[in-house]
Amino acid sequence: MTELARERIDPTTRIGKSELKNFVIAASGCYNRGAEFGRVTDVSAYGAITLKSVTLQPRLGNGMPRVLPAPAGLLNAIGLQGPGIEHFLAHDAPHLREVQTAVIASVAGFSVAEFAEVAARMDGLPNVVAIELDVSCPNVDREGECFAANPESTADVVRAVKARVRLPVIAKLTPNVTDVKPIARAAESAGADAISLINAVRGMAIDVARSQPWLANVSGGLTGPAIRPIAVLAVWEAAQAVRIPIIGMGGIETGRDALEFVLAGASAVAIGTANFRNPDVAALVADALVDAAAERGLTSVRALVGSANPSFAGERSH
Amino acid sequence: MARERDAKREIEMAQRPLAHENAMITRRECVAPGFWCVGFRAPRIAGAVRAAQYVAIDQPGRFAVRLPLGIWTAEGDEITVLFREWGERTAQLAHSDIGTAVDLIGPLGNDFTIPARGARATIVAGGLGVVPFWLLGKRLLAADVQTRVVLGARTAALLVGAAELRALGLNVELCTDDGTAGTRGSVLDALDSEPPADIVYGCGPPNMLRALSKRCVAANMPCEISMEETFGCSMGTCWGCVVPVRRGAKQGSGYPKAHAESRDFDYSRVCFDGTVYAAADLVWSA
Repeated sequence: MTELARERIDPTTRIGKSELKNFVIAASGCYNRGAEFGRVTDVSAYGAITLKSVTLQPRLGNGMPRVLPAPAGLLNAIGLQGPGIEHFLAHDAPHLREVQTAVIASVAGFSVAEFAEVAARMDGLPNVVAIELDVSCPNVDREGECFAANPESTADVVRAVKARVRLPVIAKLTPNVTDVKPIARAAESAGADAISLINAVRGMAIDVARSQPWLANVSGGLTGPAIRPIAVLAVWEAAQAVRIPIIGMGGIETGRDALEFVLAGASAVAIGTANFRNPDVAALVADALVDAAAERGLTSVRALVGSANPSFAGERSH
Repeated sequence: MARERDAKREIEMAQRPLAHENAMITRRECVAPGFWCVGFRAPRIAGAVRAAQYVAIDQPGRFAVRLPLGIWTAEGDEITVLFREWGERTAQLAHSDIGTAVDLIGPLGNDFTIPARGARATIVAGGLGVVPFWLLGKRLLAADVQTRVVLGARTAALLVGAAELRALGLNVELCTDDGTAGTRGSVLDALDSEPPADIVYGCGPPNMLRALSKRCVAANMPCEISMEETFGCSMGTCWGCVVPVRRGAKQGSGYPKAHAESRDFDYSRVCFDGTVYAAADLVWSA
């Protein structure tokens, strides 16, 4: 095994029929269209950025407080504040041309029909290369119950969306379940082109001075490095259950962190909270993955996918 | 219309100078029990900062997000922050050695409106709400605005910043809830004693700001408030730090109201669209 020059390593990946220039994606709800972070970093370091989830109706979201820093993490309950699809199409969609990299649209909904309707209207927007289904938001449904909490409702959403759109469809799954494998399989069987995981881990904090929950929503979703081992395991297990590409995420801050996900079986990685600490994290991670391939004498980052996972069910690349 | 405003605002925000720089802790002083003043050598931020702007601090350690702190003073290559120690991030910063390297993004946020030469301004600050007013006071003095500062706290030990404001040449009136310094009573009582100002600036605890805001709006007196919230991203992308504003306010999201929505206000991101709001735009009953 000889180390290869970095320039000879293929950094690209595929999500269904869409090719991304590298493995690194900005996670939904953390990056808007990139304009804010564009003031301090090069947004095009990302292979793609995922938009904040769009719902059918406008949403004001949860009351305040919505966030609380936690040990090695961030607890949040934003509640999908957003413009609704009509306003999004009229006012935000035209600006998607200005995004300096590929865009993944994110769709959230409260019924199968809503998901299908919003996804259909996102299909074909400028720069959009895939549609992610946020079937796993921890902060808007009663008792944390979301579509991704069980295989049947996950499959129902995926199937309905697939019937309406041409772009690759990604089902974003939750770690807040006993076993993610049957849910991943259900998404795949229903036609999902990829799955992404994990969404935030449910949690809460109590303001002891006032003897009441810290967040207005009571419970929230924990993100950041605190959840990384939970995420690595979820990707590891999902990678043994499905053949479709997996976008791994949860607490990635460095190239080494991202490599864990790739070796477990992720064909791409997403970064959310870490942008809030290091706006240059995308370039750091993308470069490190290329270096990791070079050090192992591989000609592509893709060849790393699943290589630590003996039961990896996906397609191996050499 | 909403869109034109949004687009204009985005361009305006994008054009503001913003630096991401390696800085070093230059000084560290306990200014009151649990209150600290920490200085950083950060020339690009020091050269660009305006009143009410803040800096997002990344320090070594297992923290997921930056610590946002309002900028207190800026002189030469140095900025200072004035803060209360209350969580892990503020505790670490308060006890860092001089010379410690930190990573800063700033200056972030908008700033106050400066009135015409000769106007009368009143600054009302409660406790650590004094933070935006060293830079504002300096600017108002330079603009020949007659400036009165009313600074209050629960008790004398918690009054911070008065000496620095006086050193600028500002007239500072003190008041405390318990009468241990200055007049006994709230900063709002002090407002009764003088003729109305052309503009009032406020920063402090929510109850004080609510009362100040309502009074100024009722008296039809222009008033600008620097708001505080717990931030997530400090960059305007996570929507974690919103405050309610009236529908149509230029700093709101501009998103339409859903049919089923009972709340008739909009939300604005304090970290990106603020921290300064016209009192008339803030909704306190939400």
